[in-house]
Amino acid sequence: MEEGVVDIKNKKYPKALKEIKNPPKRLYYRGNWDEDIFENCLAVVGSRRMTSYGRRIAEKMVRDIASAGITIVSGFMYGIDATSHRASLDGGGRTIAVMPCGVNIVHPEYQGELYDDILKNKGLIISEFEKDFPPDIWTYPKRNRIVAGLSKSTFVVEAALKSGSLITAGFAKKYKRRIFALPGPTSSNVSEGTNRLIKDGASIVTCAQDILDFYDIKKSDSNNLNFQKAEGLEKKILEILKREPMEIDALSRMFEIPSSKIGTILSLMTMKGLIFQEGRKYIANY
Amino acid sequence: MLIKILSALNVGLETLGVDVEVNIANRGMPTFEIVGLAGKSVDESKERVRTAITNSGIEFPSKKITVNLAPADIPKEGSFYDLPIAIGILSAVTQCIIPEKSLFFGELSLDGSLRHTRGVFLMALFAKEAGFKNVFVPKQSANEAAVFKEINVYPVERLSQIMAHLLGKQLIEPIEYQEVQGVLKRQTAEFDMAEILGQEQAKRAMEIAASGGHNIIMVGSPGSGKTMLARALPGILPLLNEKESLEVTKIYSVTGNIPAGGSIIRIRPFRTPHHSTSLVGLVGGGNKPHPGEISLAHRGVLFLDEFNEFPRSVLESLRQPLEDGNISITRSNGRVNYPAKFMLVASANPCPCGYLNHPTKACTCTLREIKRYRKRVSGPLLDRIDLHIEVPSVNTEKLSQDERVSKFLESSEIIRGRVEKAREIQQKRFEKETIHTNAEMKNSHIKKYCLFSPEVEKILAKAGSAFQLSARSYFKMIKVARTIADLADLEQIEPSHMAEALQYRSRFHGES
Repeated sequence: MEEGVVDIKNKKYPKALKEIKNPPKRLYYRGNWDEDIFENCLAVVGSRRMTSYGRRIAEKMVRDIASAGITIVSGFMYGIDATSHRASLDGGGRTIAVMPCGVNIVHPEYQGELYDDILKNKGLIISEFEKDFPPDIWTYPKRNRIVAGLSKSTFVVEAALKSGSLITAGFAKKYKRRIFALPGPTSSNVSEGTNRLIKDGASIVTCAQDILDFYDIKKSDSNNLNFQKAEGLEKKILEILKREPMEIDALSRMFEIPSSKIGTILSLMTMKGLIFQEGRKYIANY
Repeated sequence: MLIKILSALNVGLETLGVDVEVNIANRGMPTFEIVGLAGKSVDESKERVRTAITNSGIEFPSKKITVNLAPADIPKEGSFYDLPIAIGILSAVTQCIIPEKSLFFGELSLDGSLRHTRGVFLMALFAKEAGFKNVFVPKQSANEAAVFKEINVYPVERLSQIMAHLLGKQLIEPIEYQEVQGVLKRQTAEFDMAEILGQEQAKRAMEIAASGGHNIIMVGSPGSGKTMLARALPGILPLLNEKESLEVTKIYSVTGNIPAGGSIIRIRPFRTPHHSTSLVGLVGGGNKPHPGEISLAHRGVLFLDEFNEFPRSVLESLRQPLEDGNISITRSNGRVNYPAKFMLVASANPCPCGYLNHPTKACTCTLREIKRYRKRVSGPLLDRIDLHIEVPSVNTEKLSQDERVSKFLESSEIIRGRVEKAREIQQKRFEKETIHTNAEMKNSHIKKYCLFSPEVEKILAKAGSAFQLSARSYFKMIKVARTIADLADLEQIEPSHMAEALQYRSRFHGES
């Protein structure tokens, strides 16, 4: 595995990062340092305590965006960060993890598998701190400025009013980069931050194309493919689930069909990829 | 003068014949000795016998009395030698005739009456198998022995009464023979399934578990009704059949779990050990190996509430019994085998705080805490649990107003009807095998008895990749599908059965 350090005077140093006010003097990295990877970067940040809504949207949108060739930059924290890294790998894209510690430390340590997968899929692990530097409370905001600095725009999925994600968004604003925010329910405290960003002028994101437009990329529309595979009752169930995720018992009552029968149908639909389950609830795969 | 009285000794669930030899010598100091590795409780028998005889109005012989319990090299424990020793002494005094092929068994009270004694059932079983004709046991325990046609069971109330019988003055009527099937009792439960609102899927899973004898784990927030569901389970289980009934009664008799006057056990055991139960308490053991909760749950249900709160070592000790259906306990003074074929019902919270995925309450656990919490139960143990369900929190107030809920409500009795039918099918299927239920099937049985079409195979293959089923879960799904097909009274496993079985796959503890 390649590893090394890139100095700010080096030609390989990412241009976008050089433009910011206090760029890191040197970047330590692991993985394959290929300048292409910094070409079209999107920072995806969000809460550690994501809701199932945030996770679903991050998974879906980031996968689409990454598969269109955009590099996803994030902070390797659990929650939205890790979900975005994983989703970009699922989409066959590349991703950069900016660590709040030295690149040799896997933090949080139980995400070792993700760490390895990022490297395996031509991704990068970078940091301005020396290789075995431990994470500390002051290293996180410093890390956030690199996340924002590397990227042409920043997408905030979910964030509380006082959160690291809003700090990242603040950096992006300072660097005059575009900020995207996902609107969320006003009752959710991890959507308070994103809704505030929208109020303050961030661009609303309702689908992956909103962001892809900014990068001038067109993506073929793959929507509604699912419907062709759904038949009869499946179609009805799918439509209900699109409106609101539901539990099996509730569906059984709604259609007045015993849960054993409904279970049979839901199993088959899950295998077809029409729906998936999170906790108790079934959710339509749109 | 030497008298020989026959009695029996229980070692674990095995019974051995014991000769109680009583010698009354005219010469020597008046003493009373018991030899033959008598434990403390046997040794104390001297005082009980002496006082009981005196209190029955018979003079205790003031001679040198020696009692030998043969075989003399096996340690003996228990109070049931009181009766044979007393009879030995009395027959020497009164010259009464001891009927041939008779066994005596029972504890004496100081006033000369006989007390309820543990182990009477095993002794009677031994009497039947060893060709004895008569057994004399305490009246309060006599019902346990009433199911054996081949022997006369004499219920004895008092020492004076049995003496009158032996002297031919007033005979005791042998207890009436009772068929096992005749001991009719309805399976009872704390709750009826109809009392539980909603939870349609969980109830269905319970029905499948009860039908096939599958182990089941329920995961859900506090107050979602896991415990209630488990406690309603006995109500949908079929009664024990004759063979099972005898097996269970053996264990309950030897541990003294049959109440005075109680008969043999027809109701499936339902054991709910607390999570502070020790390893020995759960699987059995101790200095003189005694059966643990898993053996008391034999042919019934072992319900472990708060599964994740049990110490890991205690849970892991369940693995071997779950696989083998029995537990063998080895101690320095010997080895004992206890049966332990039970259905495991476990319930657990989804996370330490309990509110993960709860519709209204927020979970305060970190990812790391949840991971650590779930790791307390090992993969191999979860692998032995066929059905995994998540029990949602329900708003009972809202549900009780919903008409559609009552549409799906079924009483335990209706469900039990279906369960009994499915069990009958299994009994017929495994007639020539050593197993009774679908859950016990090994891979060779699965190949033989679980027929399905290529279409079902296609579903399985697809599920294997879509849900990342392990090889073991693959077989689990087939077993569950087999039971679902039995519930539908179909010879072949249909695609719909397999698809339903996939609903109950494991998806909560890492392995999916």
